[in-house]
Amino acid sequence: MVKEQLRPIITLNVNGREYELPVGEGVNEISPSETLVHTLRDRLGLTGAKLGCGQGVCGCCTVIMEGKAIASCVTLTLDCEGARITTIEGLADTATGELNNLQQAFVDKCGFQCGYCTSGIIMAAQALLDENPFPAEAEVREALAGNYCRCGTHYTAVDAVMTCVEKNREV
Amino acid sequence: MKSFKHVRPSTISEVSSILNKEKAVMLAGGTDLLGVLRERILPAYPDKVVSLSGLDELKYISEEKGVLKIGAMTTLNELEKSDLVKEKLPVLTEAAHSIASPILRNSATVGGNLCQDTRCWYYRYPHSIGGRVNCARKEGNLCYAMMGENRYHSIFGAARVNDPPCREKCPACTDIAGYMEKLRTGDIDGAAQTIMDVNPMPAITSRVCAHFCQEGCNRLRYDESLNIGSIERYVGDYILANADRFMKAPGSEKNKKASIVGTGPAGLTAAYYLRKHGYSVTMYERMKEAGGCLMYAIPAYRLPKDIVRRFVAALENMGVEIRCGVSVGTDGLSMEEIYQKSDCVMLDTGTWKRPLIGVAGEELTRFGLDFLVDVNNFIHERPGADVIVVGGGNVAVDVAITAKRLGVPKVSMVCLEKREEMPAGIEEIERVLEEGVDLVNGWGPKRILHGPGGVNGVEFKKVTSVFDKAGKFAPRYDEEKLMEVKGDVVLMAIGQKADLGFLEGEFQVETERGRIKAVEGSNTSVEGIFAGGDVTTGPATVIQAVTAGRNASVSMSEYMCGDLDITSPAPCLHRFDPISRRRDPAVKQRVATTSERSLEKEDASGISETDLQKEIARCFNCGCMAVNPSDLSNVLIALDAFIVTNMRRISAESFFTTDTRVPRTLEPGEIVLEVEIPLPAKETILRYDKFRLRKSIDFAVLSLATAYTVRNGYIADARVVLGAAAPIPMRMYDVERFLIGKIPSEAADEAAELALKDALPMENNSYKIDIAKVLMKRSLAF
Ligand SMILES: Cc1cc2nc3c(=O)[nH]c(=O)nc-3n(C[C@H](O)[C@H](O)[C@H](O)COP(=O)(O)OP(=O)(O)OC[C@H]3O[C@@H](n4cnc5c(N)ncnc54)[C@H](O)[C@@H]3O)c2cc1C
Ligand code: SF4
Ligand code: SF4
Ligand code: FES
Ligand code: FES
Repeated sequence: MVKEQLRPIITLNVNGREYELPVGEGVNEISPSETLVHTLRDRLGLTGAKLGCGQGVCGCCTVIMEGKAIASCVTLTLDCEGARITTIEGLADTATGELNNLQQAFVDKCGFQCGYCTSGIIMAAQALLDENPFPAEAEVREALAGNYCRCGTHYTAVDAVMTCVEKNREV
Repeated sequence: MKSFKHVRPSTISEVSSILNKEKAVMLAGGTDLLGVLRERILPAYPDKVVSLSGLDELKYISEEKGVLKIGAMTTLNELEKSDLVKEKLPVLTEAAHSIASPILRNSATVGGNLCQDTRCWYYRYPHSIGGRVNCARKEGNLCYAMMGENRYHSIFGAARVNDPPCREKCPACTDIAGYMEKLRTGDIDGAAQTIMDVNPMPAITSRVCAHFCQEGCNRLRYDESLNIGSIERYVGDYILANADRFMKAPGSEKNKKASIVGTGPAGLTAAYYLRKHGYSVTMYERMKEAGGCLMYAIPAYRLPKDIVRRFVAALENMGVEIRCGVSVGTDGLSMEEIYQKSDCVMLDTGTWKRPLIGVAGEELTRFGLDFLVDVNNFIHERPGADVIVVGGGNVAVDVAITAKRLGVPKVSMVCLEKREEMPAGIEEIERVLEEGVDLVNGWGPKRILHGPGGVNGVEFKKVTSVFDKAGKFAPRYDEEKLMEVKGDVVLMAIGQKADLGFLEGEFQVETERGRIKAVEGSNTSVEGIFAGGDVTTGPATVIQAVTAGRNASVSMSEYMCGDLDITSPAPCLHRFDPISRRRDPAVKQRVATTSERSLEKEDASGISETDLQKEIARCFNCGCMAVNPSDLSNVLIALDAFIVTNMRRISAESFFTTDTRVPRTLEPGEIVLEVEIPLPAKETILRYDKFRLRKSIDFAVLSLATAYTVRNGYIADARVVLGAAAPIPMRMYDVERFLIGKIPSEAADEAAELALKDALPMENNSYKIDIAKVLMKRSLAF
């Protein structure tokens, strides 16, 4: 006989901070059918991840979970129990607010236009750089293959990532 | 998103037991399922999502004795990045890499990829924008891709997902689309067999059936229903003309004896199936000839008696013994005797008795059914000069028209119902009017008017309503509003009763509302006695009786010997004629003009061979045209892989081709655990080529997985699987056979042609054929 687990609380670790959130169907509770992008945006106020297609196609909602870039729109929050999650808000220095190298490179190289897709692109690129700080351009393109930009900034985005890679080399 | 409960068990058996007990669905990475849940594309949803993310034991890739094993919860990213896979099976690395996007591959799992739902754009159309598309793959029955936007759909025909509506509406559940398909390939014998699997007398049913099947036909959305009735008649006549081949005595005898009391369609049908399977069958009939209502109730102008006689004769040739002129229970032959002599008995005695409704002077009227029996017994006497028929069903119609055709100058037909409420079919009502019968709706008989010379009319009272709020028959009248109809004969056609006198009270066969009570399996309350047809249901239709007869034969056979397997397996992909896309009216049978009509000559003539060809081409062969979206599936089939679940180990090929909906392939509680791939021989050349519009994210427009074992420059073994070309991954057996012994580069052109030889593109997707040919040639360019 399987007992239904009653889990009134879910623990998420987002950008280094622990959140304990109530689970249920109430207004202030995380519904079992809630996706991570909603939890981040609507409950934790981390609106950097955007909701685009809601189908895993566009990449706007990309966040890093356990070191991997994932689409938060097709991830159930309740499946993230105990997971370490980083959103775009977690990249800048918490104390000074200074942007990290990758973010700065996007600013410097104008790697965006309207910006809707940009946090997704940055998070996908960040996941790559965390694994491999000196990727070749082809690898960057490959890593960003699931991020679509309706403004057509794909080239400048790759350019920005490569600039960051070069800069990292210098350090 | 539809709300649901979420559980995350940590063992496989917990998952399985939840799936078994509840309306639950498995969630792996969620990349596919959450899209399905969010857009509310399905008419019904599970209450619970069982997350497999707690099953860490299903995340692995290993090699054991030349077999690569991949756990179902392994992500596509892990598969793609695995060094072991890169070394041993780079084709799998390639295939994994081609799936979706890097972000999705981080969550999407191998198991989820195999079990994902289709991507047809009609199917996935979101509920929030004007409502979901309830196509054949869901609970509907029309495939919108067939006549709609189909550029990404199948080029090899459809998968049967639900019964097409024609079959669903047919009481016998005839595989109509299936026999149309056989007819299109010229296999009329096969078509005949398909019908005879469920109905041994299509020559008869095609003539008398109301063709419920046609009411549901998907063509109605575009032009006209397929004229199934006329096609069935064509095949039925063919069967009768070749009865010696289609109705043969069984090859071996079972030495068990069944007796059937009554020779109506139910009894005859049971006799056919029982005899076919080697039982000895004796039938008893009180009338002069066998056939029951087919012979004596239905007028000859609808069903020529010659047809019935030929069918009965064919049954006799099979070895069914039919003893006519024996009234069981009265002619010295008792039920008891029959029961003792047989291994089981079936009762199909119909409803031949007149119900009395309690109208003053009712004894002066004549029972309409008796009148029909007389006429069918060649008593062609005018019943009177001015005939009143009371009743609004099909029997009343037959009575009225028969009277008219006997030359009665004035026939009035009076019924309770309004015209649109009448139980008679629309066509039947039209026929009545055409023949000059005076149809009067909305009146019920109050008393029969008579004088010294006999009947001189009927007094009717106005009906205020026929049915109550619940739709039950409960006529109400305005007793003040009266009408007199003059006439010298009144024929009552307001129902029939079963005459159960022959049961003699010895057998406690339970009855219900004057009928024999038959429970599931056609069993009566007495062991070894079965029943079917009108005697159990009350007056119904011939095809319902045929179905009851077939069901009874299955139960009787089970009772006497064990199973009776009377169905044949259906093929997997279903083909249509491209002409079916055109909007054309149906071919019609010629019906005699009113002046040509008579009592004995059949009104409708059959269709010609040319018309048959035209009409069968109109059938869509309704199914689902969506292609299998999984890239892994194609490669796994090419690699002769196996899918291991908590219940069994199945070849990848049967996993993907048994049913195109994975939830139906899997048993309740069944979970995909592992993929097993035997590592191919060193000299095997493997390739997965995927054509799509964008290099990332897009599903295959077409793909090809190949495995060629090459020795000394010649192909020794081949696996060729076309993806996204059909509802299932298409293993190209012809091409595989052709390639053996060939030099790859030399065989390429011919192999490409051969692979696409049977392609059946729709309006917008013939381009796929060219792509497939290119992929085929590329695979052999080494
Ligand atoms: C934008 C996009 C593009 C895509 N492109 C491609 C493509 O090009 N090629 C391709 O092949 N696929 C493609 N996919 C499909 C993708 O591969 C699947 O979504 C993914 O593999 C499903 O894995 P999942 O773990 O997320 O499954 P889920 O979404 O969790 O589950 C999918 C289905 O499988 C069932 N299921 C899951 N695991 C099991 C199991 N162990 N046993 C039994 N049933 C199970 C679930 O109940 C569910 O019905 C694409 C998907 C998206 C969203
Ligand atoms: S192809 Fe299949 S899924 Fe698509 S509309 Fe037709 S029946 Fe539905
Ligand atoms: S088109 Fe053919 S398969 Fe489809 S409903 Fe009509 S008769 Fe049946
Ligand atoms: S919003 Fe998640 S991928 Fe588009
Ligand atoms: S910058 Fe506008 S969507 Fe990418």
